[in-house]
Amino acid sequence: MAHTLPWLILLSPLVSALLVLLFAHRSKALSVALSLAAVFVSLGGSLLAFSKAPESLSTHFTWIDLGPAFQLNIGLKIDDLTKVMLLVVTGIGALVHIYSTVYMEKDEGKSRFFGSLSLFMFSMLGIVLADNLAMMFIFWELVGVSSYLLIGHWFTKESAAAAANKAFLTNRIGDFGFMAGILLVWSITDSLGFAEIAANISKLTNNPTLLTISGLCLFCGAVGKSAQLPLHVWLPDAMEGPTPVSALIHAATMVAAGVYMLARIFFLLEPSALALSVIAWIGATTALFAALLATQQNDIKKILAYSTLSQLGLMVAGIGVGAWGASMFHLFTHAFFKALLFLGSGAIIHALHHEQDIWKMGGLKKTMPKTFWTFAIGTLALTGAPFLAGFFSKDAILLAAYAKNPFIFGFALITSLLTAFYMTRLVVVAFFGKARSDAAKHGHDCPPAMTVPLLILAILSIIAGYPVFAEPIFGHDNFHAAHAATHNTLVPLLAISVFALGTIVAYVLYCGKSKDPIVIRPLANRLYIDEFYSALIAGTQDVLASLSGWLDRYVLDGVLVRGLSAGTWGAGYLFRLLQFGNLQGYAFLFGAGVVALLYLLIK
Amino acid sequence: MFPPITLEILVLCLGLLLLLVESFTNNPDKRILAKCAILGLLCLFIGSFFVEGNPALESIAPGSFWHFYSADSAALFFKRIALLTTVGVLIMSMDYQQVLAKFIPSSRPGAGLGEFFCLPLFTCTGLMFMASATDLILAFVALELVTISFYVLVAYMRGNAATLEAGVKYLILGALSTGFVVYGITWIFGLTGETNLAKVATKLALLEGSDTAILFSLLLVLVGLGFKVAAVPFQGWVPDVYQGAPTPVTAFLSIGSKSAGFLLLLRVLEPFLGVASIQAKVLCILTLIAGATLLFGNLAALTQDNFKRLLAYSSIGHAGYLLVAVASIGTKASSFGSIGSTIGFYLFGYLLMTLLSFLVLNIVSIHSRGDDIIQFNGLAKRSPFLAYALLASMSSLAGIPFTVGFYGKFLVFAQAINAHQYVLLALGIITVAAGFYFYLRVVAAMWWQDPAIVTPIPISPLTKIAIVLLVAGIFIFGVCPKPILTLLSPLAAL
Repeated sequence: MAHTLPWLILLSPLVSALLVLLFAHRSKALSVALSLAAVFVSLGGSLLAFSKAPESLSTHFTWIDLGPAFQLNIGLKIDDLTKVMLLVVTGIGALVHIYSTVYMEKDEGKSRFFGSLSLFMFSMLGIVLADNLAMMFIFWELVGVSSYLLIGHWFTKESAAAAANKAFLTNRIGDFGFMAGILLVWSITDSLGFAEIAANISKLTNNPTLLTISGLCLFCGAVGKSAQLPLHVWLPDAMEGPTPVSALIHAATMVAAGVYMLARIFFLLEPSALALSVIAWIGATTALFAALLATQQNDIKKILAYSTLSQLGLMVAGIGVGAWGASMFHLFTHAFFKALLFLGSGAIIHALHHEQDIWKMGGLKKTMPKTFWTFAIGTLALTGAPFLAGFFSKDAILLAAYAKNPFIFGFALITSLLTAFYMTRLVVVAFFGKARSDAAKHGHDCPPAMTVPLLILAILSIIAGYPVFAEPIFGHDNFHAAHAATHNTLVPLLAISVFALGTIVAYVLYCGKSKDPIVIRPLANRLYIDEFYSALIAGTQDVLASLSGWLDRYVLDGVLVRGLSAGTWGAGYLFRLLQFGNLQGYAFLFGAGVVALLYLLIK
Repeated sequence: MFPPITLEILVLCLGLLLLLVESFTNNPDKRILAKCAILGLLCLFIGSFFVEGNPALESIAPGSFWHFYSADSAALFFKRIALLTTVGVLIMSMDYQQVLAKFIPSSRPGAGLGEFFCLPLFTCTGLMFMASATDLILAFVALELVTISFYVLVAYMRGNAATLEAGVKYLILGALSTGFVVYGITWIFGLTGETNLAKVATKLALLEGSDTAILFSLLLVLVGLGFKVAAVPFQGWVPDVYQGAPTPVTAFLSIGSKSAGFLLLLRVLEPFLGVASIQAKVLCILTLIAGATLLFGNLAALTQDNFKRLLAYSSIGHAGYLLVAVASIGTKASSFGSIGSTIGFYLFGYLLMTLLSFLVLNIVSIHSRGDDIIQFNGLAKRSPFLAYALLASMSSLAGIPFTVGFYGKFLVFAQAINAHQYVLLALGIITVAAGFYFYLRVVAAMWWQDPAIVTPIPISPLTKIAIVLLVAGIFIFGVCPKPILTLLSPLAAL
């Protein structure tokens, strides 16, 4: 029984995806029902695994067996780390499924949407449950595919199609590094399973240079998937997808896969101080950079997207300072309040007929009270208001950073300040004051299928950080590992004061304003990084294109292709001539063949 | 649990019974015979998982049939291949009845059609005996049972000139090759005084100074088997006979006769490769034949416009890949087991994809004007179901990853690398590239050309089920080949 559980959790969304995409897509109701059923089976399985399963559990069978030199296993593994992720993925997945039944109500491609959602659930659960790097990579690519499908759900819209491509291609760059890392680790340790690599870790630690290189290559995968600098460009654009997708994939789960992967392979990174400090610096820079950009965005989803980037940066920085427990803790709480914020923004967008500019909102506090209160809780949790979930988890990262590296700590603290600032700005502009457009005047709360998930997530955003709730989920040891840093009152005090400072400044600046009092062009335009990339890529492409054009025309086409194909076709015609259809001729050839073979054998 | 030979006996009895029933009924629709046969064969297929294994050597009484019959896992595996092939052929034959009726002169409706559904059972019996034969005499008799029933089946549509021509060519060239096999067996008997392959092996190892005679006898047998498996230079009959024969018979020829031929080839080679002094020469000849077959089958296919003929060349090409595996046996006797399972897996995959191609070809050609590739133009619009099915089989034949065809080729190439057969490996890779061209040409025709005929194609439920199962098999065993390899794993005692 225990060994079938992981398979049940993993495969039920796959079954649903196949049934929906292949057979049931004509009936929207059936597709939705199948997809919902699958996600609840997975959720039930995860809860069961969480409450019943032993400490850790693994099950596998050999997929490809080419002797002792190469064996590829398909194996699933449930341990404490997995359990946390399982609950986050299936829990938020279930809420998003319910929410989408209303949000996507009138959409033509509803069946396709739910089919792709199931495919995503399958792929994401695969990453979480994988017990080896090869399998993780396969599912890593599969989430890339399902994310591509979902970002480009409205593929007739040009920007959505472009965003889907951008996300997919940017991730390719990171995945290339990831694959190189996997191959390196495999070639050194002769193993791909996490447990086997851990057992053979001495082979890696004997060679510090290779260890650092492979650790950083693996980190490349996380840079792509978790949208860290310099591959962050795809995530804001990915907001072109339907909002429930943004909540599930681009805030709570898939983008967190990079952090999860780093936590999973932390035993590999730990021995290399250099790799860890690179990771810490990239994370901290991303956190600060994204928080800066978020202060100048006007699209509600873009603000949340930059905020996600910034929080992911904090988690990566947490890994970099060695506190993977704290990072996972923050991942866990962040999943709830960020999903809440996205779903809340989705409720606004839904009610306001796809208006996303916060300056065209205003006064929503009165017209959409349920949305406002839940959104406010999410904001407080994110900004680190005392006694809400985000406060505890961010505190854990700050503590670890403080103990390890004051500069990283400084970056993280400024990030917190900015977070409080831009989130307050968002809330004040969108919810307070007077309605600044017709749509905003006629705002209204959404049906229960959308507000109930908001409510549940709001409750979770409050309680997820408390030891009574977080401790059983993480397991006693890990939770305390997350809090392992010395008892320190300075750090929480600083955190609370930057929270207060950011909130008050933003409130004073933005309350009652109808247009942005501060305009910083470079920040609003994302520091022109996207434009720089486009120019760089276009320039490189031109050079490469003309070079490969020349190679293709004269070397490949002229010599290799034409020559080869002419030779092959010639041989084909020649052979065809042998088939002349005359019986005596065949018998003669037969005899001649025998004689020729005889001559060769017995001369 | 029951003795394995029961399987053959029951297939034979089923065939005789159906022949009797057919002659005492007046029903003009003979497809009921095929349905009974399919049901019976499927039962036996399931039964084949519950047979007893070989008895212990000491317990075999003198004069027992175990002296020339073996039921090791390879034999059982190939028996199952024979059973499944026959089922597929019978399903095809049911759709083909309307074509048959056109070309058979008869006084009353349905006369002369019944045997077409009964004869495959006798072929199947022959194939199953061949799989178990460890004695040259039994092997020869089984081979002839197969060949003679094929003579009848190939020439079955006697009103059609092309079929008659194919029948005559097959008969005469088949008889020629049979002559070589018998002559070879005589030589082997003359050299060793034995016909049992195990005893031949021990005797051959003791012979000294008669390498020429041994090589000569082996070559004669190889010629006959080379004819069966369509190896160059004994492939001359293949394109003409395949094209002329009724489509279900072509499928049968291409799968049944090839798989039994390869198993027998391995069984016959084993005692000869035990003779150290001739190993190198035998392997050299096998390499030569494998290379020539690869090149001929795949390159000559490039210029074909007829789909049935294309499949004929494809059949030669796949014989080439299988021969690459045979030529990679090397000098170690221990490698027979792993080569055997590679060939077993390849043939199993070949069964799935070839049967599928012929099933689709059969239906499409019945409802179009012949079996040229042009007739497949726009099939995706006419019948998406058939088009996707053919896409699956073409991808697998070409060797696209996650299909059985890919994994089979992968295993073959892995064997070639192990045996340092780098020339064959290079040829293999070149011919795979050529294969992509001619297999995917059919796919291109189905999707990128406009159909000449737009009428939808009716598909009988039984055929539909068979197609779905075959497509599923191609992908399931392509992703997860383990179950088949496990069935083949105790092949060490081939």
